Amino acid sequence: MTRIPGGLVDRSRTLSFTFDGTRYEGHPGDTLASALMANGVRLVGRSFKYHRPRGIFSAGSEEPNALVTLRSGARAEPNTRATCVELYDGLAATSQNRWPCLDFDALAVNDIASPFLAAGFYYKTFMWPKPFWEKLYEPLIRRAAGLGALGRDPDPDAYDKGFLHCDLLVIGGGAAGLAAALTAGRAGASVILADEDFRLGGRLLMESHLLDDGPAAAWVAAAEADLDTMPNVRILRRTTVFGSYDHGIFGAIERVGDHLPRPETVRQTLWRITARHSILAAGATERHIPFADNDRPGILLGGALRAYVNRWGVTPQARDSDRVAIFTDNDDGHRTAADLVARGVPVLAVIDPRRDARRFGEYQLFSGATVTGSTGRRSLTSIEITRDGRSDVLECAVLGVSGGWNPNVHLASHHRGRPQWSQAHQAFLPPADLPPGMAVAGAAAGHGSPHAALRSGAQTAARLLDCSAALLPHAEDAPLCQLPLWHVPGRGRAWVDFQSDVTVKDIALAHRENMRSVEHLKRWTTLGMATDQGKTANVTALGVMAELTGASVAQTGTTVFRPPYTPVALAALGGGDSGMTFRPTRLTPTHGFAVAHGARLVEAGQWMRAQMFPRAGETHWRDTVDREVMAVRAGVGLCDVTTLGKIDVQGADAGAFLDRIYCNAMASLRVGKVRYGLMLREDGFAYDDGTCARLADTHYVVTTTTANAGLVYSRMEFARQCLWPDLDVQLISTTDAWAQIAVAGPKSRALLERVVDGFDMSNAAVPFMSCAALTVCGGVRARLFRISFSGELAYEIAVPARYGNALMARLADLGQDLGVTPYGTEALSVLRIEKGHAAAAELNGQTTAQMVGMGRMVSTRKDSIGAVMSRRKGLVSDTRRLVGLRAIDPAARIPAGAHLFAQGAARVTATDQGWVTSACWSPHLKTPIALGFLADGAERMGETIVAANPLEGDEVTLTVTSPHFIDPEGDRLRG
Amino acid sequence: MADPTLAATPRLIPLCALGGEIPRQTSFGALTLIERPDVALASLAPRGGMATPAPFGLTLPQPGRCASAGDMTALWSGPGQWMIAADGQADTDFAAAVQAQAPGASVTDQTDGWVWIDIASAARGAPLDRLLEKLVNLPPAALQPGRAARTGLHHLGVFVMRQGADRLAVLGMRSAAGSLWHALTQAAQRLETRP
Repeated sequence: MTRIPGGLVDRSRTLSFTFDGTRYEGHPGDTLASALMANGVRLVGRSFKYHRPRGIFSAGSEEPNALVTLRSGARAEPNTRATCVELYDGLAATSQNRWPCLDFDALAVNDIASPFLAAGFYYKTFMWPKPFWEKLYEPLIRRAAGLGALGRDPDPDAYDKGFLHCDLLVIGGGAAGLAAALTAGRAGASVILADEDFRLGGRLLMESHLLDDGPAAAWVAAAEADLDTMPNVRILRRTTVFGSYDHGIFGAIERVGDHLPRPETVRQTLWRITARHSILAAGATERHIPFADNDRPGILLGGALRAYVNRWGVTPQARDSDRVAIFTDNDDGHRTAADLVARGVPVLAVIDPRRDARRFGEYQLFSGATVTGSTGRRSLTSIEITRDGRSDVLECAVLGVSGGWNPNVHLASHHRGRPQWSQAHQAFLPPADLPPGMAVAGAAAGHGSPHAALRSGAQTAARLLDCSAALLPHAEDAPLCQLPLWHVPGRGRAWVDFQSDVTVKDIALAHRENMRSVEHLKRWTTLGMATDQGKTANVTALGVMAELTGASVAQTGTTVFRPPYTPVALAALGGGDSGMTFRPTRLTPTHGFAVAHGARLVEAGQWMRAQMFPRAGETHWRDTVDREVMAVRAGVGLCDVTTLGKIDVQGADAGAFLDRIYCNAMASLRVGKVRYGLMLREDGFAYDDGTCARLADTHYVVTTTTANAGLVYSRMEFARQCLWPDLDVQLISTTDAWAQIAVAGPKSRALLERVVDGFDMSNAAVPFMSCAALTVCGGVRARLFRISFSGELAYEIAVPARYGNALMARLADLGQDLGVTPYGTEALSVLRIEKGHAAAAELNGQTTAQMVGMGRMVSTRKDSIGAVMSRRKGLVSDTRRLVGLRAIDPAARIPAGAHLFAQGAARVTATDQGWVTSACWSPHLKTPIALGFLADGAERMGETIVAANPLEGDEVTLTVTSPHFIDPEGDRLRG
Repeated sequence: MADPTLAATPRLIPLCALGGEIPRQTSFGALTLIERPDVALASLAPRGGMATPAPFGLTLPQPGRCASAGDMTALWSGPGQWMIAADGQADTDFAAAVQAQAPGASVTDQTDGWVWIDIASAARGAPLDRLLEKLVNLPPAALQPGRAARTGLHHLGVFVMRQGADRLAVLGMRSAAGSLWHALTQAAQRLETRP
């Protein structure tokens, strides 16, 4: 055990956990990393490519090495950073990327083969033979080089989402963030303070600084208590703000239940935060210094070493006798040494390349020296120190490495602002072009001392909100001077990016191979492309690259910063719903009837519609569909058509408005009549069709296709509000208000006569294409439309939606002697193909009114949306026309989407004459039929052509016919 | 032309938007959700040149607001358009009644276009505020008592109306009533606020 006194863990309570099956103990306040450290566990993972033994490297979310799989079974979460996991009782973690076990990993052979696995080796090695990539190479690489694996079971936990709004979002609860929140909170602004840690305070918790002569943690607790009393301040602990998006919107993940053995309600909440202002107070990440074999367990960041000692009361020593050394190129490493000594942890040596370095405490200083190597397979045993060309070996088990600090500018750069290199800080500072409303404070802005961070947080908030800054405690202000040593030159492999296994040599090789742009370097070497996004690697790599090119770091530039700042679970991004509740579904008013009658349902956009109503004994779906179609043609069928969009159009100029919306005339429609209407898009192509009924002088009802209902309505609103505000017209959707049932077939009139309340249903009273208001079934308000999609005598009857199910049941009940049959969308489709009516497959956005045989409907006596563009040469000259197609062989199958060719023509694009849009078996004609667009189609009736489906090797011979396979004269529907 | 067989046929039984013959109701902690099939709705849009009407004595509210008087509620629903609601009148021809109050205006029956769900809190406003932040992307000020919003919820277009600190109503497409109920009850269940 290597616990030392002090720290912010509750030693009065013990928590039990396991790592790779071994049971250990820790305390509340521990992270998994600090608890492992306290138990002397130093080897925690294997590296991505070379399977090198790795230990804990940091004390925060930048961790590249200590990735574990947390929990098991369906709850297994791979690639979890042990440094961010709050310890709970019963926690079970396992190591990753090793086989058979962490201590002995067979794939460590990769490390021996490393000369062959240099940067870009995928691209060079796995080129030939080509088919091997997918089948052999990639699966092998994925097995050998990898991270943890997901469980195969669905995630049993709940996730949710929410929306927050505030005057000020403070990102980070360290010195600067707390000072900013106190300032804004006291000024009365609505404030959200988010921090990824489970405890506020940030770096203040990890330092030995005094604030107002007391421990920093005491000031943090007082500040927290103060903020808790402010109703206008909301503190989100365990919450990572992971992305800065447009319009002051931020994405944040609150880990609501991750620190519990089982989440009580939701596990994580995805918050979308809209903030008028934001302050990025995300602190800074420490740099390391690459030297030969710098990746051994026991080597970690100096600031992390200090953090473990100060906050968690633990050191990375396996035994008390293990010796500790520090390698630093700046004063911060000396601060670590001093803190360790003060806490009773002897420091063997501090190695500092600066010749003028001075000691901060009781330890041996090697100034003007560097660390040039290390030994120890699974754990550090010694380091090599080189000064003036002379090398010595120093036995030690722990080495803290301090290479200076990089401000965490990520969120400030999510809008593509490039960080600016500051010569004074020797670091990248936030860009000048910050996301709108954002300011940066504290160490993230280069103000790293406690005094500077506190002051910068308070002053930034005061400036943004135009209020006075909060009173702040007295704090130390020792600005950090850094002169970076980007790497220690030498022969061995010096790791830059631990998680991606990228070394200084890889960067040099990439440079030799002409990867000069930093973006190319990144992709060739995979530097910064692991799950840690190179938080501890990127700037160092730029420094190394700059040395190689002779350019400055500023000239070398950075790669692009993109969200998320740290990994986010897809389950959380999904917003919490999955399966059938992933998105909303809409049910028709007769849904209950359909289910009760055994309907098979089909998704049509959001709608769940009855696709068909199978009966006992029907063994194939075609049995059902053929029966339903024939029942309509012979008797009467019922189909819920509520899903078609209905738009109520009223106003003095309703007719004039519709004349501009439809390409054909609507103002001339008489009251009580219905007309088929076609809408064009602005570019002249056909857009949507349906019927339009005139209920009163200033009152129309427009129907749209199911798919375009919402779109047509919103475009009509746009036209009304923005294009022609001078027209007196009012719109509202009534799609859901009315249940509409198609009653189709020669016996439809006879059936409807049984439900109407004394209404005259005769052909003279209700002729084809008329409409009327009436009541049914003893007083229920209804609308009757005599329209036909099937080509038969047919009506659509609408009642308030609440009565839809009962009316459907009543019609089915009263029409039994007429052979009444409920039918689904499949039969509906067959009926309309037999009749030659265009639907979505014909009006697919690439066809014109002329192509569907409605060219003359586009009125030249008035203007309408798309009319002028429909007359342009390119559209008018298209000779393809909608035709009927009939298979010569009744046993053939016509594939929809097949392309049409003249007999004997080559099956190539140049001879392509059109395509099949819709196809079905016609139970009426007892042969396969189809609709399609064919070049010069109108003049080719009777011709034999070929539909080819080269993808599947299909071909079928067809006769070109009229698209109206049944009743071309329309006697049936007028009868 | 009365048909004698009709007299024998029973009335059509209406269904609630959530599919039952009786409205759905459920509670989670302090929150109670109730389906309200009894509320009649009609849209009202004054035509060009008309003075703004005051149906049933209601002052038509400004954008983003609602107003109630007795059993009647008016809700701003778009430029120049309001929804007028009346408790307990779903079985009447409410659109005709509204039309009579605003002659010459465009009035459309909307009763069956929507599912109306009341959500009441037994612990004042806080549980509703917490529920709303899980459901709609609006600042709290937009949903204070007397405010109404046309907004998105679980990928659905809805009206959210805060009639009082401790109660609100959500109106969604009738056909999507089940999905809306799922979204509301799941959020309420997860909050599990106890009175």
